[in-house]
Amino acid sequence: MTREVERRTVLKGFTLGAIGLASITTIGKFLQILTFPNGQKVALAKAVILADRSLCSGCRICEIVCANFNSEGRNSASLSRIILEKEYLRGEYQPKVCHQCADPPCLKACPVTALQIERQKGTDARIIDERVCIGCRRCVEACSQYFKPSRPRFDEEKKRTIKCHLCFGEPQCVKFCPLGVLRLERSERGLLVGYPVIKED
Amino acid sequence: MRKPGGWVGRILRVDLTDRRISEVSTFDYVPKFLGGRGLGAKICWDEVPPEVGAFDPENRLIFATGPLQGTLAPTSGRFMVLGKSPQAAPTESFCRSGVGGHWAPELKWAGYDALIIQGRASNPVYLWITDKRAEILDASRLWGLDTYQAQRAIWKLHGNKTRVMVIGRAGENRSRIASILTDSGDASGQGGFGGVMGSKNLKAIAVRGTGSVTVARPKELMEITATIHKLFSRKSLRSNPYEPEERGFKYNIWGGGYGRGSLSLLPGELLDLCHDPSSQYSQTPDGCFACPVSCRSHVKGPDITHGVAFCAQSYMYLESMIHQPEKGYSKITWQAGKLADLYGINAYELMAIIPWLSDCYREKLITEEQTGLPLKEIGSWNFISRLLHKIAEREGFGDILAEGGQRAAAKLGGKAEKLSWLYYPRAGKFGGFREHWVYLGGFPTGYAVPPLALMWALDNRDALVSHSFISMLWGAAFTVGQNALTAVPEKIIPVLKPVMKAVYGSEKAAEFIQPDGKSLDWTWAAPIVKRYYEHSMLKDSYIVCDILFPYLFNANSADHVGDTTLESKLFSAVTGLEMNEEESYQKAEMLCTLERALAVRDGRTRKDDILHDLYFEKEDAGGRRYHREDLERSKSQYYRLMGWDPRTGTPTGTTLERLGLKEVAEGLKRRRS
Repeated sequence: MTREVERRTVLKGFTLGAIGLASITTIGKFLQILTFPNGQKVALAKAVILADRSLCSGCRICEIVCANFNSEGRNSASLSRIILEKEYLRGEYQPKVCHQCADPPCLKACPVTALQIERQKGTDARIIDERVCIGCRRCVEACSQYFKPSRPRFDEEKKRTIKCHLCFGEPQCVKFCPLGVLRLERSERGLLVGYPVIKED
Repeated sequence: MRKPGGWVGRILRVDLTDRRISEVSTFDYVPKFLGGRGLGAKICWDEVPPEVGAFDPENRLIFATGPLQGTLAPTSGRFMVLGKSPQAAPTESFCRSGVGGHWAPELKWAGYDALIIQGRASNPVYLWITDKRAEILDASRLWGLDTYQAQRAIWKLHGNKTRVMVIGRAGENRSRIASILTDSGDASGQGGFGGVMGSKNLKAIAVRGTGSVTVARPKELMEITATIHKLFSRKSLRSNPYEPEERGFKYNIWGGGYGRGSLSLLPGELLDLCHDPSSQYSQTPDGCFACPVSCRSHVKGPDITHGVAFCAQSYMYLESMIHQPEKGYSKITWQAGKLADLYGINAYELMAIIPWLSDCYREKLITEEQTGLPLKEIGSWNFISRLLHKIAEREGFGDILAEGGQRAAAKLGGKAEKLSWLYYPRAGKFGGFREHWVYLGGFPTGYAVPPLALMWALDNRDALVSHSFISMLWGAAFTVGQNALTAVPEKIIPVLKPVMKAVYGSEKAAEFIQPDGKSLDWTWAAPIVKRYYEHSMLKDSYIVCDILFPYLFNANSADHVGDTTLESKLFSAVTGLEMNEEESYQKAEMLCTLERALAVRDGRTRKDDILHDLYFEKEDAGGRRYHREDLERSKSQYYRLMGWDPRTGTPTGTTLERLGLKEVAEGLKRRRS
């Protein structure tokens, strides 16, 4: 009896191991495809913001704190890198965060490599280098193919695109959300999130 | 000089009579008049003389934000509706009404600090404001719709990111107790400005903005905001957000006795349904813009109207709990408040009208035949639905009630009028608003507290005592294991001493009863009330929330001392203009004096700062009494502190000039001669 169980366990172990190996190979292959237009590989983001909409009260602090922090004190929901979709009469609130996609459509669409991987603070977030951006909005278009509304947004005043950059590892929306809706998930090995894991939101 | 932050710099003026839209610079008025209530008072002083009635086209309907709106500053979702109020009775006078929700930031982002609406359109119209332009559009297809339907129709046209202030049937029919509603329940109720909007043939104001408000010192604003979040929000106290009613955590609103999203439902049928996960009912916290607390609830269910409700709406029809005691707070209780919202009727006024009708019926002063209302079954759905319908449509007896409780009572006269005094404490020409917190614990069963009586006597609407001063009293009560209704002065005074010392400068301020416990101590009434009105003026002008600010009582510390510097710090960070606490009080003193001058111009004198006899006759729960002489003495003291003439209650010429209100001094002088 005991022996049989043991054998079964061993067999199970083998199977799981095989699947594991297979998946590693797949991910390995997968990582190969994730490349910049110039052929450089894209690392997975090491952090991502997650939202639990069931806790959300729709106060929009996340949006306004983002704009205040990232747009030099220009307070406006239209300059926020996190978007709160609200259905007021039904009371349905949905914070739309940037997923820091594994295979980022925005990044691949950028013609001037203004979209880059953040290295300084080691979040590997997909960020926009404002000095390089030419405001062509191709990233906005690319994102909106899958995610609505598009997470990169256009700053009409500066004529540049803006995008969630995880506030260099300390997202202010997460810090200021009064109800704990938002949290930051981290992993040193990188997170397989966003497109192509999810293809719409 | 660099332009200050906060204000976006333009005020939109809309003349509906000749359909002319123009702009005024906000900097003609600010920073002197701050914004909100201060700004509205100045505009009304300049443009609305006493001869203009509330429903006249010449009356101004002002929607004013302050410097903080549309920014990260906590609770900056609020704004003020101002103008000559039709609800003020018997004399119509300048009044204010605050609204929460999400409309104000949208107006700022659209590029305007305030709207001044004047004239009267020849046919129903609505206003569409977006990114520095405004249009007057035809609303004939919106006219007659309820407040939810009208908003849905506008969203179809302008997108659902548009925020709308809208009136219902009551406003269209120029009820004096009509509200203006936005989203699912935030409303400007007191003042009856819905009727003013109806009189101008204006159904709705739809706003959508994509611009921004510039903050002068964003980093500093983040720091103060973080401090405020620490004081008010649950997460910062490391509690579990998944557990709605956690022990040991006290929200710093209303003295710490209430929780997040707990201001809507009382125990009963509906709350049981909401707690049952298998039912389709739910009650979830719902926040105004940039508010760290989310004290309101959004209530949903298959056969009730969804929405948020604040105390006035959700506690409007508590008679239903007596009518069906086995059900407690039932779907009917909820739906009654929502029906008032759909018709656009001020629920706070109905909280007086319904019990008053009940009293009149008990005393056989009104009959079912005469009123056409099922008065035998007050508390039923049949009664409330017919009552609200009649008021909204001004049908039969509803036509009298649509004039507001005070005017209806005056019309019935005699004993019916006397019965109404239980709900309308202020006598004289500037009565007309309901209140019950003239006593701690409510009239007639609670305790007399001198500052409450003085506050109420001096204001021109309900004194909002429940929002800062009284929440401090409640906080003390919660600390000693009592609550808002059972608070006993002797028990709470020791807790109040350090708090009152911090706010008003002396521990003695807390001792509002004599040591022998037999009579009241009025010594500190006037200084307390002066500071109270300054706080109130500032929060309505900057504009921050009535409930969170001023932050007098900390429910989560040992000495319970709050922090009264928060508002001026927010102002400084947003605008970049230095403002310390002391300066802010001087500014508020000036604005309070301006508001008083407006009231004086409308005919208010010292005689009108008085309560009905009832409040001097009745002994409170501790056997003490308000005495007329005490109130009069405190009034004189208050007028002197403010630099007003103690004989008449009129701001003197010297005071007005000292405060930089020369034009007001001249205007008052011209009126008198």
